[in-house]
Amino acid sequence: MADQILQFLLTGITVGATYALVALGFAIIYNASDVVNFAQGEFVMIGAMSAVALSAGDNGLPMPVALLLAVLITVCVGVLLQRFAIAPARGASVVTTIIITIGASIFLRGVALLVWGKDIFALPAFSGEQPIHIGQATLLPQNLWVMGGTGVMVLGVHWFFSHTAVGKAVLACSCNRTAAHLMGINVGLMMLIAYGLSAFLGAMAGVLVAPITFTSYDAGVMLGLKGFSAAILGGMGNPMGAVAGGLLLGLIESLSAGLISSGYKDAIGFVILLLVLFFRPSGLFGRASVERV
Amino acid sequence: MALLEIDGLSKSFGGVTAIADLRFEVPKGQVYSVIGPNGAGKTTLFNMLSGIYRPDEGSIRFQEREITGLQPHKVAAMGLSRTFQNLQMFFNMSVLDNVMVGCHLRTRSGLFRAALRLPGIVREEREANRLAREELTFCDLERFVDLEAGALPYGVLKRLEIARALAVGPQLLLMDEPAAGLNDTETAEMQRLIRRICERGITVLLVEHDMGLVMRVSDRILVLDYGSRLAEGTPSEIQNDRRVIEAYLGGEVQYAV
Amino acid sequence: MKRLRGLFLLALLVVVLPILFPDNYYVTVVAVSAALHAILAVGLNLLMGYAGLISLGHAAFFGVGAYTSAIITTRFDLNPWLAMAAGILLTGCIAFIMARPILRLKGHYLAMATLGLGMIVQIVLVQAEGLTGGPDGLGGIPPLSLFGWEVDSDLRWYMVMSTVMLLVVWLALNLIDSRSGRALRALHGSEVAAEMMGIDTTATKTGVFVIAAISASLAGSLFAHQQAFISPDSFSFFFSIELVTMVVLGGMASTFGAVFGAFVLTFLPELLVVFEDYEVMIFGAILMLMMIFLPQGLFVGLQGLLRRLLQQRAPARLPAPAEEDKHGAA
Repeated sequence: MADQILQFLLTGITVGATYALVALGFAIIYNASDVVNFAQGEFVMIGAMSAVALSAGDNGLPMPVALLLAVLITVCVGVLLQRFAIAPARGASVVTTIIITIGASIFLRGVALLVWGKDIFALPAFSGEQPIHIGQATLLPQNLWVMGGTGVMVLGVHWFFSHTAVGKAVLACSCNRTAAHLMGINVGLMMLIAYGLSAFLGAMAGVLVAPITFTSYDAGVMLGLKGFSAAILGGMGNPMGAVAGGLLLGLIESLSAGLISSGYKDAIGFVILLLVLFFRPSGLFGRASVERV
Repeated sequence: MALLEIDGLSKSFGGVTAIADLRFEVPKGQVYSVIGPNGAGKTTLFNMLSGIYRPDEGSIRFQEREITGLQPHKVAAMGLSRTFQNLQMFFNMSVLDNVMVGCHLRTRSGLFRAALRLPGIVREEREANRLAREELTFCDLERFVDLEAGALPYGVLKRLEIARALAVGPQLLLMDEPAAGLNDTETAEMQRLIRRICERGITVLLVEHDMGLVMRVSDRILVLDYGSRLAEGTPSEIQNDRRVIEAYLGGEVQYAV
Repeated sequence: MKRLRGLFLLALLVVVLPILFPDNYYVTVVAVSAALHAILAVGLNLLMGYAGLISLGHAAFFGVGAYTSAIITTRFDLNPWLAMAAGILLTGCIAFIMARPILRLKGHYLAMATLGLGMIVQIVLVQAEGLTGGPDGLGGIPPLSLFGWEVDSDLRWYMVMSTVMLLVVWLALNLIDSRSGRALRALHGSEVAAEMMGIDTTATKTGVFVIAAISASLAGSLFAHQQAFISPDSFSFFFSIELVTMVVLGGMASTFGAVFGAFVLTFLPELLVVFEDYEVMIFGAILMLMMIFLPQGLFVGLQGLLRRLLQQRAPARLPAPAEEDKHGAA
């Protein structure tokens, strides 16, 4: 039993790490521009799919080059999304921006369908398929890549926001756009950076996890929803809270799949999410805000 | 008998005291003003009286009934209405509809009766329409009736908020800075409007920064400082109160007197 | 009867269409789903457009209605009308219980909570195989019949669905133009001010949530009897999004806008079929572009345009009406 639980925990952390990266992307865009980006999951899909496409076949690119290009392509998509879909609709209502990003997500999925078709693809594992045994539980080397990669990126994002001038400028825009503008910060550029960074995180999640979960043109939908859930669970206002929310959601799902029912694992995740929203609407790690009358 | 009795009222936000052990009474049929520097707790007081904030301690009695901690719509049903410092208009509705919302408590029909448009509804609608137009005329707004609220200038919106609050049919009207942002002509109009409201038998509790207006329009004045009572009395008493002058003008008074 | 002019126009259209184009696929098949979608969109618009409460899980109520009808009529062999009533009752209860905690939330949090509710219902529909038939769905649902008049042809369904749609539009128009309707709109404009006017905002929100839910349940029951077969796919997150899009596309806080949005979004995919592989991409692009360039909605946007054109021709005596939703925060 204990070994089984260890196995669930390991799986949960791997899945949770992916959620965490998507949630982090959500939180960054939300904090920078007050937009919940429903196309976040498509970043994951585009990253994974382009990596597969670039590296596949006899004259495919070497893996590291393919990965780099795939991430680069996704970042471009993120930047273009901001520039041509989000920026023109500034000041629109919550519902309007939600539909714009959903439209973008359908559009990107449509493009992926056109380019890559409906097939399911796998990316080769980065460093072999030889399982690692921990007690009775097993772990693939790729799981370590996912966990390690996520850890590095989360720390990187944290450092970016707390120690670099650009990171602080992005944060300033999220606090007060007008004030940031008056301080001479190029708000438009900062928005592009936020979307680019968010797309980068999504693409990294995509390429890291693709060898384990496979990928297809519609793989982004569920991941996007899970990322949104995770971000809300942890607290949208706090990027590190979103990361914690992602890990937590992964663990909850993996444990409920193993111990209760695999069919209902997603439902259990959403039930817990609802409970958190009912009793602590600002998220587990967010700060409550006071409304002024 | 006082219409509104406040006793031992306190409220703090995260350790910062907004109102501390406040006690005062508002007599029926008067214009009663609350003044004090920014941050003295005036709006917090209003929010507690109207049920938006729950007091930490103390009691609020209105028409000899305890209303402390009641929800705002229940307080409104008892005959207390208010306007807001930062406009809280229904910008998605027409001027007439805004005021007709004020008639909510004077009409009864529920969701289902309205959806089926049963006979009583048409009569009730006509009644609400008439009441709303009356209040609009009272506030000199009849020419804006068919416009969207979003299309009106600021000064007009200030009066529209009052018309809407009057449509509730209140015994007590709380007015939160009705003259803020108005020019001299508009302020004079506002002063007349406040007196006319009072003449209808509606007691007015006023928060205002324009001292001239306060002194001209009020029957009694309460001065707040850091959430507690500094002085209370008629306008002339307040104007000659040493503590008030000190609080408003600082230490210089020592030399001036 | 100036109030109901739009309704008469719509009714006229409903009568004339099948006479002008008998046996036309777009009339007897596509228009029937459009009318069904219009029922759903009008109900959702009361919640979203008028009260300003977003719901990304409306398909759940549609699904509960459909499955209640399907299960009761196929497993227990009861009368479809009774099943429909049972669905409405069940959905109403679920909505009533969920309303209080869910509607305390705002903006993105409300969006997430309703989305979560929708996902949970869909997962249950897929997983509770014993009851719902699981992912394979549930078939053999009997058609409706009205005093011996079997609703068994496309044309008859056209009549039933469009009649119900007209009825729902009529109810919605009445509701909006009443004390309760003003309370709803006031809630959207400013919740504190609405409370101060004596409106019990919690009760009002609960009321509109329940009404939106039961109208979705009614649509679900009709859908189940019309299709004779249902599966969880019809009640997914995507359908919820489609419904929201119908409301926004038409123009929030406009009942006819919601009807218009429902028709556009039902016919659009039918027309895009000719683009084959490009269909999904074009659909997404249209959605994006429409929201970017016409955020106030197609119907309301066109209405405004028309009004301006008319005013240019005949100088108005009345002051110009203000742009709809100028201050319309969501």
